[in-house]
Amino acid sequence: MTRLAFEHVTFRYPATEAPALEDVSLEVMGGEVVALVGSVGAGASTLLLVAGDLAPRVVGGRIEGHVTFEGPGPRGIVLPTPWTQLSGMAFTVWDEVAFGPANLGLPRDEIVRRVDHAVARLGLEDLGSRDPTTLSGGELQRVIVAGILAMRPTLLLLDEPTAELDSVGARSLWELVRMLASEGTAIIVATSELDALPAVADRVVWLERGRVAATGPAALLASDVLVVANLGTTVAAVWRAAGLPSPYPLTVAQAAQRWERR
Amino acid sequence: MTQLHPFTLLAIAGALPALAWILPSPAGGLSTAAVALGLAIAARSFRTAVFTAAPFWLFLLLLHDVPTTIAIGLRLTTMVASFVWVVAALPAPRLVEAMVAAGWSASVAYVFAATLSAAPVLRARARRIADAQRCRGLSPRGGLAQRLRALRALALPLILSALHEVDERALALETRRLVPGARRTPLSPPSDPPGQRIARWGLVAACAAALAWRLK
Repeated sequence: MTRLAFEHVTFRYPATEAPALEDVSLEVMGGEVVALVGSVGAGASTLLLVAGDLAPRVVGGRIEGHVTFEGPGPRGIVLPTPWTQLSGMAFTVWDEVAFGPANLGLPRDEIVRRVDHAVARLGLEDLGSRDPTTLSGGELQRVIVAGILAMRPTLLLLDEPTAELDSVGARSLWELVRMLASEGTAIIVATSELDALPAVADRVVWLERGRVAATGPAALLASDVLVVANLGTTVAAVWRAAGLPSPYPLTVAQAAQRWERR
Repeated sequence: MTQLHPFTLLAIAGALPALAWILPSPAGGLSTAAVALGLAIAARSFRTAVFTAAPFWLFLLLLHDVPTTIAIGLRLTTMVASFVWVVAALPAPRLVEAMVAAGWSASVAYVFAATLSAAPVLRARARRIADAQRCRGLSPRGGLAQRLRALRALALPLILSALHEVDERALALETRRLVPGARRTPLSPPSDPPGQRIARWGLVAACAAALAWRLK
């Protein structure tokens, strides 16, 4: 069973005294989708780097507390900028997706199976023979996600995964996230697309200045404190801006029900 | 030529400068420079080779007499043209595949290939930055002071963006398991026919023979 646990984790980047994460405790289990929300600089990306074993091991810095990861497969992280995640070693999209599995030293047949599966999941079949450097930002983002999925991670870390996607692409990605969770993958996603979270996230963690300010179900996004901090769903924010009483509705469906009952 | 095995291309690019320095000048340097420039023409990188080599000629002329300038200049031109040619003719992914198939660690192969592909990547980025700066009214023409100002406006973003990208790329490669000691599975290793292997050893033998002849 996959399990990631942060126990009182404090992390500082190199040559800085102010912690990017401070006393963070968090547990994520396989099959669970946890969403990190917060303003820019709140520490969501840093938390993903620590969870992905990239900080401090690769980026440097100092860590206090304990991070424990147990799982049958690797951890995979999708960073926000797709262009910088290209391997630079692939002529085609198919080769780009195969880059990670090939580095795992898997047999060629297994690589082919995994890559074909990941390409199909992201709807990239038509782009398989394209040069990755000629793709649009949205296409590239899907290629990068496919490359990580082909490595079969049991913990998937997504940093603003829909930043380059159009609305259709974003919806497909969120559906894929739920599907992966239903297959047992533990997923942590840092996103500013708050309206998608009620249908995607099992739990929401609100980060503020590196600390966990609040944690709870997706309904947290309709709480007064998050709406005031501009971290609520659009429906909740509009409800509040209209001067309607709390508790605020989380989704359009809830707003419609509440409106009819008035 | 680009269909040759990557090791064969590297062997040619290594043998030409070696022969340029071993063989007597100016005939040796002239012949190797001619071959290297011919290869650069075939790879459509002749202009790059000439523009890269030109400053060396200028400095040599300031420091030496004409015969020495010609002797060293031809050798340097061979080096520059060979490097420019191999960068243009050898795609980095093919080199990685060849090195991995030969038993090299994937991370070592990547570092080697990234060195070869750095120049074109930086050139493309510099062009984008120059275009962006032109849109904001920067002109790279005019007097020396204006050109220096333009150079600063190009160089700073180029260096800073390259450093920033290195950080992110390192994270991305790490998460995709390009780590020291990784034994990568070659996906489509380039074919290495016996004829090319013999040709590579032939180039090594030719360099050794030329050296022995010169030392005699």
